[in-house]
Amino acid sequence: MPQTENPSRETILARIRTALREPAPRHQPVKAGPIFAPVTDLLDRFQKECGINITEFVAVPNLHASAAAIKEILAALPTGEIFVQDSPDLRELAAEWQDGRTIQWSSEGGPKESAQATISACEALVAQTGSVLVSAACGGRGASVVAPVHIVVATINQLLPDIDAALARAQERGTVAQNSFLCLITGSSRTADIEKILVMGAHGPRRLIVVLAMS
Amino acid sequence: MSSAAQEFLRSAAVKSADLTHRQIIRRGIDQYSSANDRGRSRFADWEAARQRCHEIKWEALNNLDRYLLEFEQRVKERGGHVFWAADSAEACRYITELAVSRGVHKMVKSKSMVAEEIHLSPALEKAGIQAIETDLGEYIVQLRNEPPYHIVTPAMHLTRKDIADLFKEKLGDVDTDDPVELVAAARRALRRDFFSAEMGISGANFLVADAGMIAVTTNEGNGRLCTSVPRIHVALAGIEKVIPRLQDLALFWPVLATAGTGQPITCYNTLIGGPRKPNEVDGPEEFHVVLLDNGRSELLADVEQRDVLHCIRCGACLNVCPVFRTIGGHSYGTTYPGPIGSVLTPHLRGIDEFHHLSYASSLCGACTDACPVKIDLHHHLLENRRNAVNHSARPWTERMGFKIWQWTMQSASRFRILGGLARIALRVTHGLGLHGTALDPMGPWSKNHAAPHVPEKSFRALWGKNNAAN
Repeated sequence: MPQTENPSRETILARIRTALREPAPRHQPVKAGPIFAPVTDLLDRFQKECGINITEFVAVPNLHASAAAIKEILAALPTGEIFVQDSPDLRELAAEWQDGRTIQWSSEGGPKESAQATISACEALVAQTGSVLVSAACGGRGASVVAPVHIVVATINQLLPDIDAALARAQERGTVAQNSFLCLITGSSRTADIEKILVMGAHGPRRLIVVLAMS
Repeated sequence: MSSAAQEFLRSAAVKSADLTHRQIIRRGIDQYSSANDRGRSRFADWEAARQRCHEIKWEALNNLDRYLLEFEQRVKERGGHVFWAADSAEACRYITELAVSRGVHKMVKSKSMVAEEIHLSPALEKAGIQAIETDLGEYIVQLRNEPPYHIVTPAMHLTRKDIADLFKEKLGDVDTDDPVELVAAARRALRRDFFSAEMGISGANFLVADAGMIAVTTNEGNGRLCTSVPRIHVALAGIEKVIPRLQDLALFWPVLATAGTGQPITCYNTLIGGPRKPNEVDGPEEFHVVLLDNGRSELLADVEQRDVLHCIRCGACLNVCPVFRTIGGHSYGTTYPGPIGSVLTPHLRGIDEFHHLSYASSLCGACTDACPVKIDLHHHLLENRRNAVNHSARPWTERMGFKIWQWTMQSASRFRILGGLARIALRVTHGLGLHGTALDPMGPWSKNHAAPHVPEKSFRALWGKNNAAN
């Protein structure tokens, strides 16, 4: 790939350096208290926050039981193919929930616009805000945004107290370095651009469903 | 008076008398205010959050060269391109030439105030490239051929009826004023564009130096489709958007959401660094970041106002501003309306043409209190007033007026004599019924103000009398 030519790069940097010869004043801290109250009961908080941000939450005893929950969700959706992240766990689950729908696996390319639902794993769950952290490794960029329904399959050991912890783990484990894309998802797509009235499913999914295996 | 100032006064007078407009804005902002109160109550200490945000931005801006170079280095390592644009023309030229050389005919855009600032869409159109806004609010104002009304909610000034009429005319297949149906209609129309566009343009809320990624915050998911589906992604951001660490987002994401809309956190907080990696399922083949200066390095040199560059474009100062609520976003005639726009625009577009905005403020300080990164907005408005006076010659009438004022105030007897004369003059003006007419020496002021009551005796006279009686 050709190098980008940058005729103004040096000029801009020189201007910045000249400008910064004099330091700017700063506000002195009045008192330094904790900014957020610590999150204690992770599961309880996660569930509450899902209620606030309109994420559907389904708890199942173990990963194996996720298959039945997914089958039930899919049964209520219009006919048509679905998109699933290609991973050993999801391959195994798909064999159990099989309901006759065509499955497009992420190894065959990004989700088609016609997909009725997408199913993926996640990097972490965040109790503080009821959020799901995904990366490109979770079925790609489109897996969490293209279809009207996004189902996230997670396990309880992925539940972290807050965004701080989720970002720290993503950096420690190399998720940030290894992926060109990460997204902290909180609820499904929405807009309030018309008279500040909340409407779900603006451009992305209308429904976000977290199926959480408790062991 | 500059032509921008004349247009501002004209538009502000019209809008402030438009009661329907004021009702729409009041309703929108009332909803924001209650959501914002709830949002802030989720923080153990909102003031500590503001202070920390201020400190992080201070660190970033006061080491700007270092963090920009770190960001550039890491983006390149991820296979992305970084282009440094000195001004609007250079940024537009880079993006247009890139599009033309890659055979792009259609572009989908997610919300970017910087794209508005550099007038990117008209530049692309000139090159025969269609640029489609995909944020619902931006899409609506684009269909109306209007600039965004508000930094965060571009179509805040429109009723569902206005939008229904617009969609009926432009999209054809819609005949409803139900917001759910209207959103569905826009979704249908824009889906076609997402999947047929060759290039996606996004802004960036933050440029994360240590990760070499851009952070884009959206609720609708349009920003995500723009950066996932087309084969080229161009991100456009001001140089001031850089932050040192990925970890800083654990604070900035909730703060931006709370200040912007009152949400605990926005739906999609996306991080993008580089094009699709070889082992990844999807994503663009090319990733470009355009870093825009366009007057920012000059503002950086102004130590007194450097913190204006801390702005995260949340729009909180607009919502709380009594002037914005009254005259609306379009009256300013600027890309960035409201208090932050009034402070920033003279720096970006010239103090001679735009210093009048320094007076579009009651100096109540609500903006400063609302700012999540603690920008001292209302004092900066005062500084801009001072700078404007020092920068250019004022009209001789104004200079003469202040000379007389100064001379009068320096002596008690002169103050007494001239004060007495002024009282007589006021009585005569009112007695003859000249208030507000062309013969009224206070004409410009009287035009919009009722005649003040002139008491029988002056304060000095009363003071003398009462003290003598005691």
